[in-house]
Amino acid sequence: MTFKDFFSRLIPLDLFKGLGVTGAYLLKRKETVQYPEKRLEPSDRFRGMFGYDSERCIDCGLCAKACPINIIYIVDHVEVDPDTKKKRKVIDRYDIDVKRCMFCGLCEEACPTEPRSIWLTSKTYETATYERNERLYFTKERLQSWEGVTAFPGVVSPEDGQRPDDPTGKKAAAAPDAGDGGGAS
Amino acid sequence: MSEALLLYLVIPLVKIVVLLALLLLLVAYLTFFERKILAYLQVRIGPNRVGPRGWLQPVADGLKLFVKEDLIPTSAQRFVFLLAPCLIIVPALVVFAVVPFGEPFTMAGRTITPYLADVNIALLFVLAVSSIGVYGIILGGWSSNNKFSLMGGLRSAAQMISYEVPMGFAVIAVVLMSGSLSLVGIVEAQRAAHVWFVLPGILAFGIYFLCGVAETNRNPFDLPEAESELVGGFHTEYSGMKFAFFFLAEYANMLVVSSLATVMFFGGWLPPLPNLLAPLWASPALVWIPGVVWFAAKVAVFIVVYIWFRGTFPRYRFDQLMQIGWKWLIPLSLANVLAVGLGVLILRG
Amino acid sequence: MTAGPLTPLYDSDEMELSFGPQHPSTHGVLRVMLKLDGEKILDAKPIIGYLHRGTEKLFETMAFPQCLPHTDRMDYVAAATNNQGFCVTMEKLLGVTIPPRAAYIRMILAELQRIASHLVWLATHAIDLGAITPFFYTFRERDAILDLFEEYCGARLTLNTMKIGGLPFELPAGWLERCSAYVDEFPSHIDEYEELLTNNRIWRQRTIGIGVVSPEDAVEWGLTGPPLRGSGIKWDIRKVFPYDRYDEIDFEVPVGTNGDTYDRYLVRMVEMRQSVRIIRQCLDRLPDGPIMARVPKVLRAQEGMVYASVEAPKGELGYFLVTTDKSTQPYRCHVRPPSFVNLQMLPEMVRGHLVADLVAVIGTLDIVLGEIDR
Repeated sequence: MTFKDFFSRLIPLDLFKGLGVTGAYLLKRKETVQYPEKRLEPSDRFRGMFGYDSERCIDCGLCAKACPINIIYIVDHVEVDPDTKKKRKVIDRYDIDVKRCMFCGLCEEACPTEPRSIWLTSKTYETATYERNERLYFTKERLQSWEGVTAFPGVVSPEDGQRPDDPTGKKAAAAPDAGDGGGAS
Repeated sequence: MSEALLLYLVIPLVKIVVLLALLLLLVAYLTFFERKILAYLQVRIGPNRVGPRGWLQPVADGLKLFVKEDLIPTSAQRFVFLLAPCLIIVPALVVFAVVPFGEPFTMAGRTITPYLADVNIALLFVLAVSSIGVYGIILGGWSSNNKFSLMGGLRSAAQMISYEVPMGFAVIAVVLMSGSLSLVGIVEAQRAAHVWFVLPGILAFGIYFLCGVAETNRNPFDLPEAESELVGGFHTEYSGMKFAFFFLAEYANMLVVSSLATVMFFGGWLPPLPNLLAPLWASPALVWIPGVVWFAAKVAVFIVVYIWFRGTFPRYRFDQLMQIGWKWLIPLSLANVLAVGLGVLILRG
Repeated sequence: MTAGPLTPLYDSDEMELSFGPQHPSTHGVLRVMLKLDGEKILDAKPIIGYLHRGTEKLFETMAFPQCLPHTDRMDYVAAATNNQGFCVTMEKLLGVTIPPRAAYIRMILAELQRIASHLVWLATHAIDLGAITPFFYTFRERDAILDLFEEYCGARLTLNTMKIGGLPFELPAGWLERCSAYVDEFPSHIDEYEELLTNNRIWRQRTIGIGVVSPEDAVEWGLTGPPLRGSGIKWDIRKVFPYDRYDEIDFEVPVGTNGDTYDRYLVRMVEMRQSVRIIRQCLDRLPDGPIMARVPKVLRAQEGMVYASVEAPKGELGYFLVTTDKSTQPYRCHVRPPSFVNLQMLPEMVRGHLVADLVAVIGTLDIVLGEIDR
């Protein structure tokens, strides 16, 4: 072994360099966000908790067909309006089993109304409960009132507010001067 | 009361109580400091929820370990199982009886030495007592009646024993330079020689510190207690306070190694350049800094270096570890003894 | 399957040990039955199936677009390339060519995902070998990539980010600038990891000479991805069977020389740099246009069998689809996961090494149990 080899084995310069890399971090600023006092804001397209608007919903059932795990349960019946003799579909049940949902967004993509009647871009992720079977099964009323869900600060529940305007960027792509590609609700 | 009673009973008792209390508190808070410093190295903040900025975390940990269920496996050797944690922590704490923390000061008219005893073979005492700790590991691994604990315990013991040899040789270099085995004598010798022993004994210091890291089973030599390895180590079957003892003993051993390194190589309680800069240290701005503060600062630096090592390096495989100890460190330390001996002979005639 | 002893009679020197399934360093629920002589490994038999979820059977019950979210969950560390694999296979089956803008954006997403997956590999490999800090540094970079993904498609891990025929979403405002800024800054971070590990003598001692695979063995056993390239064979699906306009992009395929763990480590580090190069070129040359080809709303396939593969971060990820005429669902979809095939080589690679090296070898193969068990 040459002299140079011996000294390079003896004095571990590579180890000192490694120490330097980690040591520099001792003095740097840390970027930890202290949850729950502060929260990071998810992006506009973040797939969070559902919002549902039964006024806009036309009961086409496309969302239920699109869902890969079939967790949207729609039960409806046809009502005949006595005055105009027109047939109408009335939704009895529009339930989503959120505990099985994988938040893939296929239901939102399939919804044909404009703006959509079911959406999950609500930036809300705090849906944890202590009991799973009842609390995470959202009926039509609970979907609209967001009972049991902690909305992300600034997001209003579907009952009170609107849904995000253009989460997928299609409108912005079609009209590029329309400003930001995703408005918050 | 009589002078003898005061001198030989009361003052030592007070010193023992103070020392034990401080040591146990420090060892518990070392867990907290390790977590914080490791976190800072890793771009995060450590524990900061319990108490103001996390300072009550060791209290929470201690309480948790107190109330944990005390499991003793039915097939374990009961007496030895209970004895092992004691065997590991008591020697680590006893060593501090001879470590000098500062220079003698006067209080209420009498000189008080801030160390428990100035034994004239203190270094030998330290090496002997700290070797007893190995028994704790072997017995802990064996009495658990678990083949993986046994393997882990034996590996750890083998590592500790093989690294004690170069450590002893490195310490001999210090003894050669200072001419005394007493720890107080070593510090005084550094004052008399106008230089900290780390400068002429840089190789001895390197070997000593490396062996110290291996003795305490710390990264990069922490295979016996690594979580991602196969065997859980000798403390697999322990729970509750007994488990805490193993970890406290590890931190206490870290403190022992750091304190000894400070005393032997870095001048103990002496400020830097004690004779050259004596007027500076005696100036009214700095004269109030007692030696204990210097000692504590140096030990703190060593502890930070321990934690820094843990945060940076991968760990060695066991056979590579043993190779380093036997094939590199022992010849190096022997060569070092030769060189230092020659140097002392030439320089002091 | 009950795993009994490997052989009914064995030597008194041998010890049998079950490594896992719950173990911090098996990267999932992998169980390895080891036959040990002291610390030396005589034989290792991986036992899988603890994460089997019946994905391939599920595919047979779902329409083609509904299969996409399920592909995310196979290799959950690198979801975008799973999606890309399925989409490429379906497009080959249906004969659809995606528009150039969609292809370029897909390449950007796939390369970002490659970087993210390699960062996870580096983090876990280093932590298995004892270096606990690179984990935090790499996850900081990975979090920035996941933020980019979140802005694009709304999810961070199980992305569902592609559609058969193109992409579901247009890029949000400012995404290109953010991606560009990230890609400019990233090589300095790779330098940081390299400084911590590449020349570190402890790292080198733990990885050089461990798990050596000769080039002939690598080809015979069907290894793909960095294990194959680490043994010296230059085979990358993006170069050999290009998809999604990879033939228009200029990049290099790194190969190793010795086929040991250190070489595979170097190969993946260089791959990260090459991914940065690809993303940079795609960003510079991003064409305008539609992001979705003309595919019918309800996809019906013709009768046929097709196999297509993509270069996932872990190797060649292939999908074999069998469809019947006018069906909306696959008749059979088999996934060829790279980790499954790479894992077969584990016993060969660890024979003769010590137990501590088993962890290094599992780390260097970069397996994800979600992909192996499906």
